[in-house]
Amino acid sequence: MSPSLFLIVLLGMASYVYMQGKRRAFRLASSESDSTKLHSRPGYYGMLTALWCFLPALLVFSFWMMFSGSVLTTLALRTLPDTMQNIPPNQLNLLINDLHNLIAGHVAAKDIDPVLQLAAEQYLGMERISRISLAVVMFAVALFFSSLIYRRITPRLRARNHVERIVQTGLMICSGLAVLITIGIVVSVMFESIRFFQQVPVTDFLFGLKWSPQMAMREDQAGSSGSFGAIPIMAGTFMISGIALSVAVPIGLMSAIYLSEYAPPRVRAWAKPVMEILAGVPTVVYGFFAALVVAPFIRNSGELLGLDVSSESALAAGLVMGVMIIPFISSLSDDVITAVPQAMRDGSYGLGATKSETIKNVIIPAALPGIVGGVLLAASRAIGETMIVVMAAGLSANLTANPLQAVTTVTVQIVTLLVGDQEFDSPKTLVAFALGLLLFLVTLVLNVIALYVVRKYREEYE
Amino acid sequence: MLKKGLVFVAAASIAVSAVSSAYAASGRDYISVVGSSTVYPFATTVAEQFGKTTKFKTPKIESTGSGGGMKLFCTGSGIDTPDITNASRRIKYSEYEKCQNNGVKKITEVKIGYDGIVMANSKEEAQVTFTKKDIFLALAKDVPDPKGSEKLVANPYKTWKEVNPSLPDTKIEVLGPPPTSGTRDAFVELAMEGGCKQIGWIKALKKKDKKYFKSVCHTVREDGAYIEAGENDNLIVQKLTANPKAFGIFGFSFLDQNGDKIQGSIVGGVSPTFENIAAGKYPVSRPLYFYVKNSHVGVVPGMAEFLNEFTSEKAWGEDGYLSDKGLIPMPEAERKQFAADVKGLKALVLTK
Amino acid sequence: MQSRKKETSMDKMNIGLAKRYRKERRFRLFGLAAVFASITFLGILFVSIAANGWTAFQQTEILLDVHFDTAEFDVDNLYSVNYGALVKNSMRSLFPEVKGRSDKRDLYRLMSSGAVYILQDMVMKDSGIIGSTQQIWLPADDEVDMLMKGHISRDVTEGDRRLNDKQISWVDTLVAEKRLEKKFNTTFFTAGDSREPELAGIRGAAVGSLFTLAVTLLLSFPIGVATAVYLEEFAPRNKWTDLVEVNINNLAAVPSIVFGLLGLAVFLNIFGMPRSAPLVGGLVLTLMTLPTIIIASRAALKSVPPSIREAALGVGASKMQAITHHILPLALPGMLTGTIIGMAQALGETAPLLMIGMVAFIVDVPGSVTDPSTVLPVQIYLWADSPERAFVERTSAAIMVLLAFLISMNAIAVFLRRKFERRW
Repeated sequence: MSPSLFLIVLLGMASYVYMQGKRRAFRLASSESDSTKLHSRPGYYGMLTALWCFLPALLVFSFWMMFSGSVLTTLALRTLPDTMQNIPPNQLNLLINDLHNLIAGHVAAKDIDPVLQLAAEQYLGMERISRISLAVVMFAVALFFSSLIYRRITPRLRARNHVERIVQTGLMICSGLAVLITIGIVVSVMFESIRFFQQVPVTDFLFGLKWSPQMAMREDQAGSSGSFGAIPIMAGTFMISGIALSVAVPIGLMSAIYLSEYAPPRVRAWAKPVMEILAGVPTVVYGFFAALVVAPFIRNSGELLGLDVSSESALAAGLVMGVMIIPFISSLSDDVITAVPQAMRDGSYGLGATKSETIKNVIIPAALPGIVGGVLLAASRAIGETMIVVMAAGLSANLTANPLQAVTTVTVQIVTLLVGDQEFDSPKTLVAFALGLLLFLVTLVLNVIALYVVRKYREEYE
Repeated sequence: MLKKGLVFVAAASIAVSAVSSAYAASGRDYISVVGSSTVYPFATTVAEQFGKTTKFKTPKIESTGSGGGMKLFCTGSGIDTPDITNASRRIKYSEYEKCQNNGVKKITEVKIGYDGIVMANSKEEAQVTFTKKDIFLALAKDVPDPKGSEKLVANPYKTWKEVNPSLPDTKIEVLGPPPTSGTRDAFVELAMEGGCKQIGWIKALKKKDKKYFKSVCHTVREDGAYIEAGENDNLIVQKLTANPKAFGIFGFSFLDQNGDKIQGSIVGGVSPTFENIAAGKYPVSRPLYFYVKNSHVGVVPGMAEFLNEFTSEKAWGEDGYLSDKGLIPMPEAERKQFAADVKGLKALVLTK
Repeated sequence: MQSRKKETSMDKMNIGLAKRYRKERRFRLFGLAAVFASITFLGILFVSIAANGWTAFQQTEILLDVHFDTAEFDVDNLYSVNYGALVKNSMRSLFPEVKGRSDKRDLYRLMSSGAVYILQDMVMKDSGIIGSTQQIWLPADDEVDMLMKGHISRDVTEGDRRLNDKQISWVDTLVAEKRLEKKFNTTFFTAGDSREPELAGIRGAAVGSLFTLAVTLLLSFPIGVATAVYLEEFAPRNKWTDLVEVNINNLAAVPSIVFGLLGLAVFLNIFGMPRSAPLVGGLVLTLMTLPTIIIASRAALKSVPPSIREAALGVGASKMQAITHHILPLALPGMLTGTIIGMAQALGETAPLLMIGMVAFIVDVPGSVTDPSTVLPVQIYLWADSPERAFVERTSAAIMVLLAFLISMNAIAVFLRRKFERRW
């Protein structure tokens, strides 16, 4: 019997308890005199019982899941002779693996040690016992709590409020998780950054004009000079993202407007999902396309015009990246534009405005938060993209305003620094975290500005 | 809606916890290999052969780069650490020391063969003959003053012809691996340092100030003539066909596979062919290694058998399947010696 | 006087009207052009991928008469049989005139090294065939395959080709004898990764992607929606929630590899989860997609007209009832959009998976979320970096599989979105 089966049984039990709770509420409602009405709708009574049946048992189950494996292994190890137990931890770890392989019935590495075989059998026996006891405890808990609630069901019981409180707590925990991730990211980046700034002055990092971090890590290696000026790669990031956004924002926004306001529903039903595929095409594909089609094209047309174009260019990467992020803008804007109430359009038409005037003056302002959200998301994706840049724009950090030159971005540098040889004492690896922090702060500022803009210009109707 | 939502959440939580229950007590019954992306194609070929012809599972091979592999390898002994790491260079003393300190006491070193690093261009242009000195002068960050005085100036050369009048009159444009790559390390050490030494007064530096000598010889220019093109060698090959004027630096196996589109340049009078590299004539070739954690042999299922497969003649011999994949085999005596080392699990001893 | 005034404003309007209509038409045209442009681009991408990749769905195979000689077999150990000799014998019987060691080697090279395993599997499955002679279609080597598909041109000098003139003449003979044909490549859909292009399949990576995305979807959708609902509907409006909002927006811009680092530190080092497992991959991708889903869901919730909420509250619904009965269904299309885009991104991501060991060579198809596995984009990335020419078309074919995966995933979400979408 596998533990996951327990959960399915538990779910079945919860739904049974739900029905019972609901039925009891119905019975109460019909038997009591009319003066005492049920506080909540009967379903809520059922739901409350079901929740109390499901949640505590789930808690028991997860605790068991977490600890049973290690407890059983320790117990099984106890049966081994002392000579086998008293070995250094990393060898013990290998012994445990042997044991686990035996338990799972995998191919063994060498001839099976009878003592170990015995331990494995012991383990399997104990596992059976522990599973049975888990089942007993789990279902006892489920039964206990659900019957407790079941008995307490009276017309006065504020079941809805209870259920809502539980659900709201669940929601709160979820959003806490999102906050936790943020904290996790900031903390993990922060500590390494501080160590970086102990070795390289902040001012050198923030205002340095030269980026060449691949310094020697071993004594017998000669790397590059080891300068950590972040300005060239920040500039590169902004240039490529800027090019990408100048492709994606007009196309994305106009597509969204056309699809939601002009296109017949059937066209929209097809075109929107088709465009969303653009966001899912693996970036390697875009990378190859940018490097082998767009970049040579730009190079050749540049040479026709007598311009000096390097074979890696910000323009090629930016253009292709722009295409990739179109759906972020088009789909999200389309959704919010569709959600603008018809009454507002009707009002505007009633005053004699044309469709485009209505869109520009009424709908866009009303849909602004969503549109800005989409653009921010698109910008974020552009900043975070690596493969296209590596393949089409190169890795060399030039400080230039010319989009026909090779540039590189912060994310690309972070990835190249973290993949391959790492040394967490050397500024070469630590600078990746400092870059992460810098990027985080810069986007933070951009987001705050966006929030401010939205608050200021958003037209809240109704 | 609320009901549906709750049911969905319940189902999700069940699925997730059922899933996590699966790994409660299962040991690792496959070999875990990490390390260099250059050795990856060879190690995977052996692994596949091994998995298909024995009762053991196919080893899992991660491509993490030599340094990354060493780092994982040396975190300690135990089942959650890799059993073998591949490297496109020899283990460094610092890495060896780290291994020792973390309880990875006994390591066996196995050299598996050689890999040539080639400079190549599109077949649309003529084949070029470089000397190592040409390569150094074209790609170094600082070069000796062309006017003849014994001092270094920032590399002034823009075209190959300026470097050496016998070379074509095209812009210097070389696509090569980034500094994080082992291929770049080897190229710099073998080709550039080799060329660097041909300049008398720089060679004299080596005795006086070794560190300065290295930094002069090993530092690649950063002004756009050398283009760091990422680690994808296929992309470099395709870029060379799109841009016939450019040169690329990559492993021999890519030249071997694309002989109809690109040609290897002659370096130091020797063209990069299988035979020349195997005979040790071609100057830019490096040995490839893997390192074994001895304490895992006999514990992780299949370790001894896998090592046996890797060091068998049918794998790494003159006509073995690895040579089909582009690995240049070692001379027979060396193969015998390393095969014996593996059999006896001879522990590596490095001194500083 | 009054009528004259009216006329002038009417005139003014009429003059402006033509201009306004022109503007209107232009605006509409821009919209159409934008949609057209992006769909054209998608078309170009598709065509270029399909043109490169469709040939990978075919594989050249050679018909051999294999004699399972009883003398070769040791019934106790079917692994130790020299299956290679069986293949070599039957190749030699086709070309009895080939003599000399190097010529023979060249001849054997026409056959895939995987032919051996196919014979081995056949014998393992049914030892009754020992002693008989069977006609079997076996995969040809990838070089032969490339020649048949025209990716190796015959008119370059012999030394620059992977196949020499003799080998080509043998291939031509086999074609003339109808012993060499292109057949549908089932291996590609049923096998795991391999270093031999003709044996390499996408199934391992596809199953890995399925597991990884299942974990991601099951975690990120409920958590993302719940977070959005809480932040949008329940959380108090103050500096703190502003900070949280800005932070979540900000998370979307964090380079994905940083999530990989976080996953490495938390899931592998603290919780001790297995390396290279889809479970961990799914968790890391959940961290990465959550911001996208949260942002889209919040935008969707914001765009539900307040009147709906007020009406629900007005007839006595509790806040939770108003949300679950009225607001959530109306906001669902927007939430699904966010999910589609987030999942699409997760499906195509490689960088964070590098940190947790999913960029690896794994032959066995994973059976559960804790088995080592890789995912489709990683497989594409690894194949794109392989020297063998035959991997080029397989890379494109793998991309096509990934897109098929993506399209079917989107189709479900789009169906749901259409079901819930409503206009006011």
